[in-house]
Amino acid sequence: MTAGTIPALRSGPRYWWRSFLMMTRWEIVGLRLLLPITVFVQLLTGAGFVLGVGLFFGQIPPRAALFVSTGVIVITLATVGLVLGPQLIAGQKAQQTYDFIWSLPVPRSTAAAAWIVTNTIIAVPGMVVALVVANIRYDIDLVISIGILPGALLTLYTATMLGYAIAHSIKQPMLINLITQVTIFALTGFSPVNFPKEQLPGWLAALNEVLPLLHMANVMRAGLTEGIVTGLTRSYAVLGLWAVAATMVTGWVLRRRQ
Amino acid sequence: MTAYANTVIRRGAGYWWGSFVSMLRFDLVSLRNELMAVAVLQVLMGAGMAIIYGFYFEEIPEVVATYIVTGTPALAIVPVGMALVPGVVMQHKFDDTYDFLWSLPVPRLAIAASNFVLFTGIALPGVAMSLLVAAWRYDIDLAVSWSIVPAVLLAALMANSVGFGFAHAIPEPRVTNLIVNVIIFLVLLFSPVAFPISNFPDWFASVHRGLPFFHMANVVRGGLTEGLVDGLAASYAVLGLWMVGSWVVVAWVVSRRR
Repeated sequence: MTAGTIPALRSGPRYWWRSFLMMTRWEIVGLRLLLPITVFVQLLTGAGFVLGVGLFFGQIPPRAALFVSTGVIVITLATVGLVLGPQLIAGQKAQQTYDFIWSLPVPRSTAAAAWIVTNTIIAVPGMVVALVVANIRYDIDLVISIGILPGALLTLYTATMLGYAIAHSIKQPMLINLITQVTIFALTGFSPVNFPKEQLPGWLAALNEVLPLLHMANVMRAGLTEGIVTGLTRSYAVLGLWAVAATMVTGWVLRRRQ
Repeated sequence: MTAYANTVIRRGAGYWWGSFVSMLRFDLVSLRNELMAVAVLQVLMGAGMAIIYGFYFEEIPEVVATYIVTGTPALAIVPVGMALVPGVVMQHKFDDTYDFLWSLPVPRLAIAASNFVLFTGIALPGVAMSLLVAAWRYDIDLAVSWSIVPAVLLAALMANSVGFGFAHAIPEPRVTNLIVNVIIFLVLLFSPVAFPISNFPDWFASVHRGLPFFHMANVVRGGLTEGLVDGLAASYAVLGLWMVGSWVVVAWVVSRRR
C-alpha cells in the first residue's frame, strides 16, 4: 500500500542536521545578489578604517596603530551581526515575508545556526583584508596565537545572537533600523575598540566594562598581540554571559507563537 | 469684464517673489516633523564626531584640539546639505510625488531658490550648537571674527546646492543614496576637515584641494582662529566654483522636459 508510507519524522539530530544544511543553502541563495556587495562593503569599511584613522595623526604612534589595526576587525565582525542581520530581518518584516520564513518546515534553531554560518562567510574576508592592510600600512607586530579562534567565534556568535534578539523581539522595522544605527555609532565612537579604554572618560569606561564591545575587542586583541591585553578571563566571562543571555532571549522569541 | 479680473499673470518679479514665498512655506510645512531630528543629527555628526576623534589620542595637543573644534561647523553642515537635501529629493522619487513637485504652478527656479534659502537657515542652529559643545568639551578659546558669517553661509549654501544638484540630476534614487553614504564616509574618515591637510599624503591632499570639504572647513576655521589657516582666497574661490557649478546643473535639470 503506497498510501501508507510513513511520514518523515520531524525530530532527531539527523532531521536537525538536514534542516540546518537546507537553511544554510536557503540563506546563501537568498543573499546571492547582496552577498558579493556586502562582502565588498565589509572589505572597504575594514580597510578604510585602518587607513582613515592614520590620517588623524601627523605621525601615528605605534600603540595607536596597533589598537586600530586590531580593533577594526572587531568592528567588521560586530557590524555583520549587530547591523546587517537586524536590517535584513527588518526588511523581511517591512515586506511581510517574515511569517513565511517561520512557516518553513524546519526547526527554528536551524535558521539561527544557518545565519551564524552565513555571517562567518561575510565577515571573514573583511577581517583578513583589514589585518593585511594594517600590516602593510603600519608595519605592526602581530603575534597571532590560537586564541584568535575562540575569540573570533565567541565575538561573532555573541554579536549575531544580540542582533537576532533585537530584530526578532521588536515589531516595527523602522525601530529596528534606528537601533542598529545607534549601535553602529556607539560601536565605532564610544566603545574602546579602536583605542585603549584609558582614553575614555572614567564613567564611559566603567559603562563599557559591563557592555560586550570592550570584551569582544579584548578577546580578539589577545589572539593577535602579546602583552597588551589584561583581564582576559574576565572578558571571556562577561562576553560568555552576554552570549548566554542573547541566546536565551532569541530562543524565547523564536519559540513563541502568535 | 469681471471674468478677467482673477487671471494672474505668471511672470514678472512680483509673481516670482510670491511663488518663492509660497514654496518656502510649502517646504517648511512639509519638513515640520523633521526639524528637531535634523538638529539632533547635526549635533551627533558635528559635536559627536568632535568628541569621538578626541578618544583616539592619548594626549591631545592644543593645536589638534583647535583643529577638531573648528572643524565641527563643517561636519554639521554636511549632513544637511549632502544627506538631508538629497534625501528629500530621493523620498519624492520613491513616493512617486516627484512629478507633482514640478507640476506646481510656480517658476521652477523658485523651487530651487526656496530650497537653498530654507536649508541654509535650517542648518544654522545645529552648526552653532555643535561648535558650542565642541568648544566646551575641549575648552578652546576661539578668536571669532566677522568673517565667520560669510564663511558659514557660503559653506552651507554650497553644500545645499551640490546636494540639490546631484540628487535632481541623477535619475535613480538608489544611486543618490549610495553617493550620500560615500560622502559621509569620506568626510568623517578621509577628509582634512577636523585634521590638518598636512597629515595627508601629497596626492590625497591635491585631490582634496579640488573637492569642497577641505575648503568648507578652511573658511570656517579662518573665521574662528587667528594665524592658523592660509589660502583663504583660494578656498572661497573653490567653494564659489562648486556652488555656481551646481547652479548650472540645477538650471539644466529644471529646464528639461521629459
